[in-house]
Amino acid sequence: MIEGIKVIDFHGHVGRWDKWVNNYDQKLMLHAMDSAGIDISCLFNTFYPDGTSGNDRAAEFVGRHPDRFIGYAVVSPEMPERMVPELTRAIDELKFRAIKVYPPYTTCEIYKPPWHPIYEFANERKLAILFHSGVEWQNHTRYLAKIAPDYPQAIFVAGHSGNVAEERADAIAGAQAHPNIYLETCSTFRTPGVIEQLVNEAGADRVLYGSDIPVMDPRAQIGKIITAEISDEAKRQVLGGNASRLLGL
Amino acid sequence: MTTLNFKARVPVYDANVRVGDRPEEVSPCRNREDLLAEMDRHGVERALIYHAQGEHRSPIDGNEDLEGWLGDDGRLQPLWSVLSSDPSLAQIKDLHAKGRVNCARLHIHDTIHQLGLIFKPWAYDTLLSWFSDNHIPLWIPLLETENEDIVTTLLEYPNLVTVIVGAHYRHSLWVRPAMKALPNAYLELSRYEPLGEIEALRDEFGVERLVYGSYYSRFIMGPMLFYLHHTNLSDDELKLVCSGNLERILANAGKS
Repeated sequence: MIEGIKVIDFHGHVGRWDKWVNNYDQKLMLHAMDSAGIDISCLFNTFYPDGTSGNDRAAEFVGRHPDRFIGYAVVSPEMPERMVPELTRAIDELKFRAIKVYPPYTTCEIYKPPWHPIYEFANERKLAILFHSGVEWQNHTRYLAKIAPDYPQAIFVAGHSGNVAEERADAIAGAQAHPNIYLETCSTFRTPGVIEQLVNEAGADRVLYGSDIPVMDPRAQIGKIITAEISDEAKRQVLGGNASRLLGL
Repeated sequence: MTTLNFKARVPVYDANVRVGDRPEEVSPCRNREDLLAEMDRHGVERALIYHAQGEHRSPIDGNEDLEGWLGDDGRLQPLWSVLSSDPSLAQIKDLHAKGRVNCARLHIHDTIHQLGLIFKPWAYDTLLSWFSDNHIPLWIPLLETENEDIVTTLLEYPNLVTVIVGAHYRHSLWVRPAMKALPNAYLELSRYEPLGEIEALRDEFGVERLVYGSYYSRFIMGPMLFYLHHTNLSDDELKLVCSGNLERILANAGKS
């Protein structure tokens, strides 16, 4: 909790990634969260195209501290027959609250039909979908504006807000044009002025704090929001107000 | 306790600040006053600065461009740029003769970027020997050369003090063996943000090996400083990382 706002990290991972993360450990996650006033981290496992294998691991991890972690359901169009059944199971049985997709692990652009069952499910359930977004050919941020209008009850979140300037500009343009496109902040590129740009151009009500925990320590990533030249009210929205609304907390 | 606004509570001496424009990247700080205002906003007292033109194309021109930023209040100190070439080293030697060199930043521009000279002892012996013999610490940015070359080449110069700059989470497997192999190397922390790593490196190598740098203006100044202030480092340890270790490195420059 920071000055009365419940802080929610919208973007985090479950599952070892030993080549990049030495300290994959739930206690360390909680220590980092507690040290910076982060109440909840939203986690998912993107490493299994069947969805189930990763979602079960995420459920076990989240279930140890359900007051501190929220699970997102992961599915992939590489195994299309599993998408809707697994989403149904993850949302209804595992009690996950949103969907995460990682297009670089797939073989088609996110606006193409193989992805549509996911969007239809999210639209029907009024769920948020967190996309990895950036320069990869599958997930340019401009594609979100192609799909968001067709699924007005779903929320389309550009993870990393596209990461680089050109992609970020397209993500912002999408958010300006469509009320169901949101922008999430985690990125190893800590370019000056980015948080200010997102808030000033897309609106503080459309920006979500995320960290990529444990790949990146949430304390460095939340520092981007705290030290940005934006109003305290904007910080409250970005740090947790918007996420609480989207996740139904 | 975390609040919506942050300013450093210990003295801060930023070990890694870039000033000036690159051709493709306009700096958000147009002049010395802008930079000092940004430092003030985060509670940073002093900074080591180098010029973007030194990084991009010419340490010689970059060092000349740097002069206008330094001022005389001591808040901005020079991190001279150097390349492994006779004219560049001659410039550093001239500055050294005037008593103005207590650190420098090596620019490698090797084959990864299809330019320059790979970081091998046969190519850098003149430069590295001079810095080692004169006890001048050398900042070495990662991403300009092969990680392995940094370790194997520096092993040939055991008395040379180095500050390794810009380690990223993709260097996670490299950092520990590199720090073990190079006891005179310090790790600058601007980009090193895998979960819990700063506290873990403190536990494993000692807080004396860690140096705060922001890598501003390539990156924003505040987040890593915020992060350091929200670890379980004691205030004494925090002071060392934020300024004390750098002060010690610079104070030892020129001493055998």
